[in-house]
Amino acid sequence: MSALRLISNRTSQQALSNSDYTWEYEYYEYGPVSFEGLKAHKYSIVIGFWVGLAVFVIFMFFVLTLLTKTGAPHQDNAEPSEKRFRMNSFVADFGRPLESERVFSCQIAEESRSLFHFCINEVEHLDKAKQSQKGPSLESRIHFQEVPRSSGMLEEDLNCLTKFNIPNFVNTEQNSSLGEDDLLISEPPIILESKSVMQSSHRILD
Amino acid sequence: ENISGFSLNVTDCTQVVVPEEVFFTVAAAGILENLLVLIAVIRNKNLHLPMYFFICSLAVSDMLGSLYKTLENIFIILCKMGYLTRRGDFEKKLDDAMDSMFILSLLGSIFSLLAIAADRYITIFYALRYHNIMTLRRALVILAIIWTFCAGSSIAIALFSYEAATVIPFTILFPLMMFFILCLYVHMFLLARSHAKKIASLPTSTVHQRTNMKGAITLTIFLGVFLCCWAPFVLHILLARFCPHNPYCACYMSIFHVNGTLIMCNAIIDPMIFAFRSRELRSTFKKMFCCAR
Repeated sequence: MSALRLISNRTSQQALSNSDYTWEYEYYEYGPVSFEGLKAHKYSIVIGFWVGLAVFVIFMFFVLTLLTKTGAPHQDNAEPSEKRFRMNSFVADFGRPLESERVFSCQIAEESRSLFHFCINEVEHLDKAKQSQKGPSLESRIHFQEVPRSSGMLEEDLNCLTKFNIPNFVNTEQNSSLGEDDLLISEPPIILESKSVMQSSHRILD
Repeated sequence: ENISGFSLNVTDCTQVVVPEEVFFTVAAAGILENLLVLIAVIRNKNLHLPMYFFICSLAVSDMLGSLYKTLENIFIILCKMGYLTRRGDFEKKLDDAMDSMFILSLLGSIFSLLAIAADRYITIFYALRYHNIMTLRRALVILAIIWTFCAGSSIAIALFSYEAATVIPFTILFPLMMFFILCLYVHMFLLARSHAKKIASLPTSTVHQRTNMKGAITLTIFLGVFLCCWAPFVLHILLARFCPHNPYCACYMSIFHVNGTLIMCNAIIDPMIFAFRSRELRSTFKKMFCCAR
């Protein structure tokens, strides 16, 4: 290791030649270190380092959990305006493709059609059932199962998604109680509405 | 007088030796696991996405780290058995090459984690334009730039490791990157928390407070694992440069092999907390193993 070579060059300059460095499993090149008159325990750096690291990690954890409980108030003021902007842009972009969906689905093969049926069903469900939030998530989960089978169709899917002006995300579940995983993005989510934006970012860190 | 280089004091801190079997097992497990992740991403076309390419980059750097340790151990065994001389030029060059491989692995890990965090950040805050911002080509270009920079710096650091000018930036880069990644994740976390509040304020919402705890736990695991596995080694490099004769520093440096094993453990843990979270990747694994039978 380079650190090892560094030491051997510095400590062995007086006695040994510069080319006389060795790979040692036991690093004797550290030179004469006297262990006389130590005030603290000899492993104090080791202990101090690990204790400090543990304290830091626990401190970070508590800060993060505190952020969940309280949180900065100015964040809440800044968010609604951004949300409204996103909602407006989304509705504007999403207004068009509902009619042209049938045109698209005729041109594309069977598998990718399932993806768009997923999209349209998702929108329909979210429109109808605004009160119950578990409904659409179940629907979307069922439809999402079809997507992985379309192995060759992903490029076309991506192209159609750009035409739909939807980013390359699929939002499958709303509650963490439904899913086994998805801590910090396991799947790229399709966001269909502003609520889905909120849900995905909420889901992402759950 | 002759400075023999041996310290014969009884209260010495002797090298803490990790058994070779443990070393090789941990290294082999790390290499295999990351290789599986790479194969799964290459074989499944659904996984040809920027997010998975960054995870692959992390897997490659973990593999390099474990490979380095394995090769180093093999060469030390060969030295002990007498097949290689200890002072030859060839061995020196080999040692240089392996050192640069290790530093490449460390830098690659840091930058891959940064890329993953930035990708997730763009996912959340630029959700509508994510597909246009992070195209496949751009992701590949970013990865090419990262790895070229890491390769160049690792060769430079390995060649000029005697200078303080290389050690100090190397050790400053580590906490700086960690801090930056932490900031990105905390910002995402704050947004998720405020959205959770909004959802919870809806009349029929069933989101519980405990889901926010999960986010804190996840984030702590991410950063805690990286810190605990790499920081001991970085501290070792610092101490070796600045206080090699201090007895306390020497006692810390005697656990060098434990630090190396920790780095290999990081290679094993990283796929579990990044790659195996993805349902798609797990189903690809199942298909691979079912077909192999």
